[in-house]
Amino acid sequence: MPLSILLPMVVTGIAGIVVLLHLLGLSRTATLTDEAAAERAWLREFPDDRPTRIILCQNRTAALIETEKGRGLVWPMGADTTARYLRGARITRTATGLCIALPDYTAPRIRLHLAAQEADQWPDYLKEPA
Amino acid sequence: MTDMISFPDVVNWAVPFFIAAVLAELLWIVIRGRGGRYETRDALTSLMLGAGNVAEGILLGFIAYGFFMVLWEITPLDLGTSLWVIALCFVLDDLRYYWVHRFGHRIRWVWASHVNHHSSQHYNLTTALRQTWTGTFTFMMIVRAPLILLGFHPAMVLFVGGLNLIYQFWIHTEAIGRMPRWFEAVMNTPSHHRVHHGRNPRYLDCNYAGVFIVWDKLFGTFVPELDEEKVDYGLVHNLGTFNPIRVAFHEWVGIFRDATQPGLTWRERLNYCVMPPGWSHDNSRGTSETIKARYVDAHPELAGTPGLPPRPALGPD
Repeated sequence: MPLSILLPMVVTGIAGIVVLLHLLGLSRTATLTDEAAAERAWLREFPDDRPTRIILCQNRTAALIETEKGRGLVWPMGADTTARYLRGARITRTATGLCIALPDYTAPRIRLHLAAQEADQWPDYLKEPA
Repeated sequence: MTDMISFPDVVNWAVPFFIAAVLAELLWIVIRGRGGRYETRDALTSLMLGAGNVAEGILLGFIAYGFFMVLWEITPLDLGTSLWVIALCFVLDDLRYYWVHRFGHRIRWVWASHVNHHSSQHYNLTTALRQTWTGTFTFMMIVRAPLILLGFHPAMVLFVGGLNLIYQFWIHTEAIGRMPRWFEAVMNTPSHHRVHHGRNPRYLDCNYAGVFIVWDKLFGTFVPELDEEKVDYGLVHNLGTFNPIRVAFHEWVGIFRDATQPGLTWRERLNYCVMPPGWSHDNSRGTSETIKARYVDAHPELAGTPGLPPRPALGPD
């Protein structure tokens, strides 16, 4: 197939599908209904590291997890979730919450939307104990 | 020897069908309220990786084709282009696909290219298009060499490979439950391939088939989809980014970081490239065997069920 046909077709096809998905309301991100949901999401990634403490943020889009191995975070990846330990994290305050930079090529930056009071408190929670 | 043979570039010609089928599946899911899930950013990443794969073929396809044409010059055999020869080439190329795919899950260097196909937590027709950008660098074109040396023209080999890829498109769906029993017995189906995309311990590293599931049954890697265990899609450690560049290259970056860390022997550096994904010099990570063994250790009642080892392989620490 000539590139002059293939390229516009691919671009139009991708754009059309993405716009349609968005209009159908399929851009909503996952929420963690309660602590049990946050625990399940954590255990999906780290089945051997059972949480000893869970702090769910007010809008239920993320949860801080403590285990015997350290502190971690569960957050939405589109309609699903993922989780990481926070070793080496750099935390900065943003207008809408926090930005967590991790030394991890597969999860370099996590943007948390938090209430102002939470955004002030969470950096203390997120820091690894000395 | 026939040099000037041309076959249609079937994958590119199938692009309109791919787009139409994605739209049809999406509408089916929205209207029926079942049969799979779609999410905008996940689908966009899959589609961009698909487009990038086509671009890689256009930019780097000459490397594999040049290699094949060198082999074609060497071989004294020429099987011609009859329909029977094309059919035989299709079957043998599917056997080739099985082994390349198996290597893709068992050799980290090849997994680094293939991993992006498994990186979505969704399973729909866009997942089928989530293809590699780095296939050329795995050097897996070598596995096609026997076909060409046997007298199958390189253009024919690439043609049947394209047909194989198109066949595999429709099996990336949850909208189809199970096909008729005879079909499930011989062919790769949505059910068999859902299992292949599972991150559940029992579903890791199985069902490598492209078109014919008989290869998995023959080589002992077949695991059926169990009604009592729903497939959980994605990677053992799911990605925290939708950036297609990070998705496409993350395992290569991982190999580089692992193999260049200080204090390793040269053998350990090599092993980070060629051992199965999850291998580490200090056993701090887990391969699929370790994950299965730990799972059976925690659930001994499941030992010996499909996809799991027969008895707890790890004792208490």
